[in-house]
Amino acid sequence: MVKSTRILALFLAGLALLAINVHADGATLEEKVKEYRLKNGLRLLIVERPDSPTFAAHIAIGVGAVHETSRNRGVAHLLEHMLFKGTKTVGTTDYRRERRLLKEIEKVGEALDDLKFRSPGAGPETEELRRRLTVLQEQHKEFVVKDEAARIYAENGGVGFNAYTSRDLTAYIVSLPSNKLELWAFLESDRMKNAVFREFYTEREVVMEERRRSYDSDPQGLLVENLLAAAYTVHPYRNPIIGWESDIPFLTLSKTRQFHDKYYAPVNTVITLAGDVDADRAYRMVERYFGDIPSGTPVPPVVDVEPRQRGEKRIGIRFEAEPRIMIAFHKPTLPSREDYAFDLIDMILGDGPTSRLYRSLVVEKKLATSVATSTLPASRYPNLFVVSAAPRHPHTVDEVEQAVYEELSRLAAEPVGAAELDKVRNRLRVDRLRRLKSNKSLAGMLSYFQTVAGDWRYATRYDREIAGIGAEDVRRAAAAYLHRDNRTVAVVTRGVP
Amino acid sequence: MKIRLLLSLLAAVFLLAGCHSGSTRISRPEQFQSQPLIFQFPAVDRFRTANGIRVFFLEDRELPLVSISAMVDGGSLVDPDGKVGLGALFAATLRSGGAGRYAPDAFDDLLEGMAANLAVATDTYATHFELSLRREDLDKGLALLDDLLRRPLLDRERLDLAKKRMAEAIRRRDDFPRELARDRFRRQVYQGHPLGREPTVASVERVSRSDLVAFHQRHFHPGNLWLAVSGDIGLEELKILLDKTFGDWPAAAFTAAAPVPPPQPPERELLLARRNLPQTTIIMGDLGIDKNAPDLFDALVLDFILGGGGFNSRLMRQIRSDRGLAYSVYSHFQVGRRLPGLFWVGCETRADATVEVIRLIHAIIEDLRENRVSESELRLAQESLINSFVFAFDDRHAVVAREARLDFYDYPADYLRTYRDRIAAVTPEGVLAAARRRLDPQRFTIVLVGDPALFDAGMETLGMPVREIPAAGGAGAK
Repeated sequence: MVKSTRILALFLAGLALLAINVHADGATLEEKVKEYRLKNGLRLLIVERPDSPTFAAHIAIGVGAVHETSRNRGVAHLLEHMLFKGTKTVGTTDYRRERRLLKEIEKVGEALDDLKFRSPGAGPETEELRRRLTVLQEQHKEFVVKDEAARIYAENGGVGFNAYTSRDLTAYIVSLPSNKLELWAFLESDRMKNAVFREFYTEREVVMEERRRSYDSDPQGLLVENLLAAAYTVHPYRNPIIGWESDIPFLTLSKTRQFHDKYYAPVNTVITLAGDVDADRAYRMVERYFGDIPSGTPVPPVVDVEPRQRGEKRIGIRFEAEPRIMIAFHKPTLPSREDYAFDLIDMILGDGPTSRLYRSLVVEKKLATSVATSTLPASRYPNLFVVSAAPRHPHTVDEVEQAVYEELSRLAAEPVGAAELDKVRNRLRVDRLRRLKSNKSLAGMLSYFQTVAGDWRYATRYDREIAGIGAEDVRRAAAAYLHRDNRTVAVVTRGVP
Repeated sequence: MKIRLLLSLLAAVFLLAGCHSGSTRISRPEQFQSQPLIFQFPAVDRFRTANGIRVFFLEDRELPLVSISAMVDGGSLVDPDGKVGLGALFAATLRSGGAGRYAPDAFDDLLEGMAANLAVATDTYATHFELSLRREDLDKGLALLDDLLRRPLLDRERLDLAKKRMAEAIRRRDDFPRELARDRFRRQVYQGHPLGREPTVASVERVSRSDLVAFHQRHFHPGNLWLAVSGDIGLEELKILLDKTFGDWPAAAFTAAAPVPPPQPPERELLLARRNLPQTTIIMGDLGIDKNAPDLFDALVLDFILGGGGFNSRLMRQIRSDRGLAYSVYSHFQVGRRLPGLFWVGCETRADATVEVIRLIHAIIEDLRENRVSESELRLAQESLINSFVFAFDDRHAVVAREARLDFYDYPADYLRTYRDRIAAVTPEGVLAAARRRLDPQRFTIVLVGDPALFDAGMETLGMPVREIPAAGGAGAK
């Protein structure tokens, strides 16, 4: 439905961490989170914040692009789009009559896909199927109530009705006035139980347009996509969430339905409500609407293990744009000690105007016009620490690259001073406080850590953990991971491929 | 405190309201009935200091943080011809160039030591400051803000760095198709007016430190400063702090010159930036409206129906949902604060659907010019705008910053209080009239970024003059 990667990137950029003190009066966030588990395994987290008469709802399904194979790459994201197409009650004038037509559309559509796959290029048979599909789609319009859930939410004052797919999870979000809780419970539980994948072949075209927009026409998107595909050899983190250009046209309705039926189940679901809700009432409401869904089976862990990198990888991309560079290093993920050390490294090197890379590359040497650090592409499995930079003409990416390595070597050689370490710990703590301000970000954060770290308390314990990471941990992590043989360098330079 | 009490009363009301549903479930959305939402406007305190600073304040004790937004009248609109970019360079150098006793690095170190966020930016009309602090750093943080407002160093080397980075930004201006299309659209429609200018390497080079000093001296006076404060502090305490910090700042007279309105946009033209891309970026539109337009609310509702209402708008429905021709398609009426803003429709579509999509957008707009919208479509737009209004008050700092902004731009005092009623009063006739007055595809400028060799039809079939935009930025330099 939306930009699949941006929101995740935001989570990772700030590493979505939480404060111990939510209230000045000392009540802790850990105490403020009420946790429930329905009999079918659905997990519900609630934070009561009656300040403003609104609430944010965040539903995380613990399945994402990392759980796809070469036979269905892109399906998690396409499915997310399809879940905005209505249900047996929402989005239809008469589902019983519509169903027959949908079956026929699917039969023709799959035959067409099959033919496209076996003999690309339009023969008479393809043309005939295409014509029939158009006729059926035209007939189907009679039954479609367009985007009805979006309309209902809008009429009821809902904002931010959206969803995103990441490699680790898929999330469905909306914020509503607080007198609309039951409407939310009805619409979202109905979506979980009774989804109908109508207008599939049109929506697949929308996803193709999304791909062209976010990757094929965007030098930054293209660079990230290529970087990840080069950095990972085996692990599915190498694949774009949206799927490769050749994947999307062959994602079928049946593959999409299979993925849905297999993984969209209470046992894989975390719902967080934050805002002006009464916890007990909200719990009973969720139980009433979601409690009768069969629990389903847990998403199995990914078995692919990325082998240790055995030397530098380097790729170049051409685009009609000024040069940019990204340098990625493999690293362990949460909840390892090294991952906490990398949160500190991220701040020391890349956070704000006093960070080492900014001062060195932008202010002192004036080689780069911008420099940033981040963690990509997700966090359930071992991930990457990434330095990105844009050189300032006439300086070259090579000069920028060497200057980055000087700073990385310094970090691996000399322990960070106490003042600098204090500065970044303090920054992590206060930035986390700022993230608590909005219900939407708080709800997203709790759902995220419950899903990816297996416990939302990862967030509330964060400060304690980070306090235990010292200068030597940081130096060791830098020395162990930020070296030549563990890195992938991707550069985009001007040109037409 | 009053607000706190009221909200807990509200919570109690909802609790009672909740009991009626018992253990039944609704099975269709239209069965859902909600209790009315009782909504009170948060009471923003507003006052002026003795030397004329306008202050807007809202207490917020939930987190031990304080947020401050400041606006100073004076932005890029007054950049002299030949020195376009001055306002932006001023903001960058002000932020990075040190202040008071603190050299550039020392100033940043102090802020970072407090984990404070400080951003300075110049837009068309104003220079904006955003400062976020821990409660315990408020004294120190305000002192730094005071240094910045009254005693900026505007360090020469930092100015030089800002100029170098702006020159690089100019080289990179055309890297992203959407930014390229938007930039050319703005320049074309505002042609011949300061709003249609853009910095060049030469205009940036001409800006000197004395220009920045002059800008500062002209605009930075207490009577020309709007402050919005929210967070973990009380009103009396704030007043004392402000007096201590800014009390000895002498008032001085400043009147902003009334801006000259932009001329009619040039004759319609299609501008093409040739790029080897599988997808065409389309921007089309015209001059828009300003906040004083008598049909402002008609236009806001019209915009929702046309393309501002996401999936509930016609552009999204007909171009994306019905035909799969785009991921993103939308319209936007930019409400100009002092001068008319822009109106545009934006979309990206596969190259071989480019002309089809342009024709569809035209047809969707023509329909709004010819036919009244249905009651139900109007009602959806109105209910959405009215019922989501409460989210404008979700973030307490956003509330107080908006109050300051509305005052800064001389909005009517009852603008927010009457907003919902004025949306509710919009009629199908009003929407029709606004469409006829504001949207004329025959006048639209169109900007395309893409590969015309792949288009589904020749651009000349659109019946308007076509002009190719030369490659600029880094590409032009080579």
